[in-house]
Amino acid sequence: MNELELKKLWQTTNDKLAENFVINKKNTEDITRIKVQNLLGSMKPLKIFALLIGFLWVGIGSIILGSIYLNSFSEANKFFLFSGSIQVGLTAMAIFVYLYQLITIYQVDITDSIINTQKKLSSLKITTLWVNRILFLQLPVWTTFWWNETIINDWGILQWSIRLFFTISFTVVAFWLFINIKYENRNKKWFQLIFNGKEWIPLMKSMELLEQVDEYKDENAST
Amino acid sequence: MDKQKQQQFFEGIIEQHKGILFKVARTYCPNVDDQQDVIQEMMIQIWQSIHKYNDQFKISTWLYRISLNVAISFYRKNTTRAEKYTELNEQLVEISLDDKSENERQLKLLEQFISELKEIEKALMILYLEDKSHTEIAEILGISVSNVGTKIGRIKERLKKRFSQLKS
Repeated sequence: MNELELKKLWQTTNDKLAENFVINKKNTEDITRIKVQNLLGSMKPLKIFALLIGFLWVGIGSIILGSIYLNSFSEANKFFLFSGSIQVGLTAMAIFVYLYQLITIYQVDITDSIINTQKKLSSLKITTLWVNRILFLQLPVWTTFWWNETIINDWGILQWSIRLFFTISFTVVAFWLFINIKYENRNKKWFQLIFNGKEWIPLMKSMELLEQVDEYKDENAST
Repeated sequence: MDKQKQQQFFEGIIEQHKGILFKVARTYCPNVDDQQDVIQEMMIQIWQSIHKYNDQFKISTWLYRISLNVAISFYRKNTTRAEKYTELNEQLVEISLDDKSENERQLKLLEQFISELKEIEKALMILYLEDKSHTEIAEILGISVSNVGTKIGRIKERLKKRFSQLKS
């Protein structure tokens, strides 16, 4: 089948099918009247909600920790203070990612070219990986925030060994994941094990799509 | 443009260019229910973007950009979005197909090959089959004209190879 036959086959048959395709006029009118959530609009409330909760958490945490630093640093439990500070600091970083996502959502223009729009939309989805990297980085502080000098002094070698084993393991795993959770490792088995499930399908597809977009961009740059 | 004129413009372009929405939806969504959802999303996006329409673009270029962006995004989401359309109760579209048509049968064969293409290649293929110029395809996709030529050449070769394999 040559090129012209191929096109003719597509056009004639699709035109015939398109003729039989009827758009309900009432629905066309309804679309101009109702306030329906669109593709990206549906993402905004969730992001705004996450931002508000995050700001609240970081705000309250900063006030509590700040007052300890300023007023009672010498008497404070340093394990709680430093673990809490790291946790609040990392949450603040996650908030910045959400803020970036929200700004990107407002910037996406569905009438822009396919490559530009899909690049933005895929990148937007992939920044979700950043949130996960940051969440994993918080792992070690959840093993230390409850420590205090009294219980540390009571610990024997066995208890020390167990606690340190968990804290060091969590720290190594957290840093390893922080470094390795990235787009380039999407095909690794451990990556697919972590990001397995229905809710991650859009993320995986975004990665595939970004790869396609990059192929087109690369060739654009080289031509 | 006031609201009433926008509505008339919107209804006019939907009626006149419904074929674009239909063809794009049909290429990206084999399931008829998904086709209806994606066409509805396209129409919503067209309506919401109508104030941004710039007449320096051909209306078909603008519509292809929106419909392809929506169809590709729909592929990414891969979820049933019916719950978002509770306010639109009536059947949006009525599609009547003559399954016994020889053209339809042959088209299914071609669509099988197209379905194996990657998402952006599908967009390129629709535009190529619709006889769009390389310049217009470049405007819709956002790549250079020479890149369009290269990509189309490669896809054509693959399709020819598949057709010849089928014949042999």
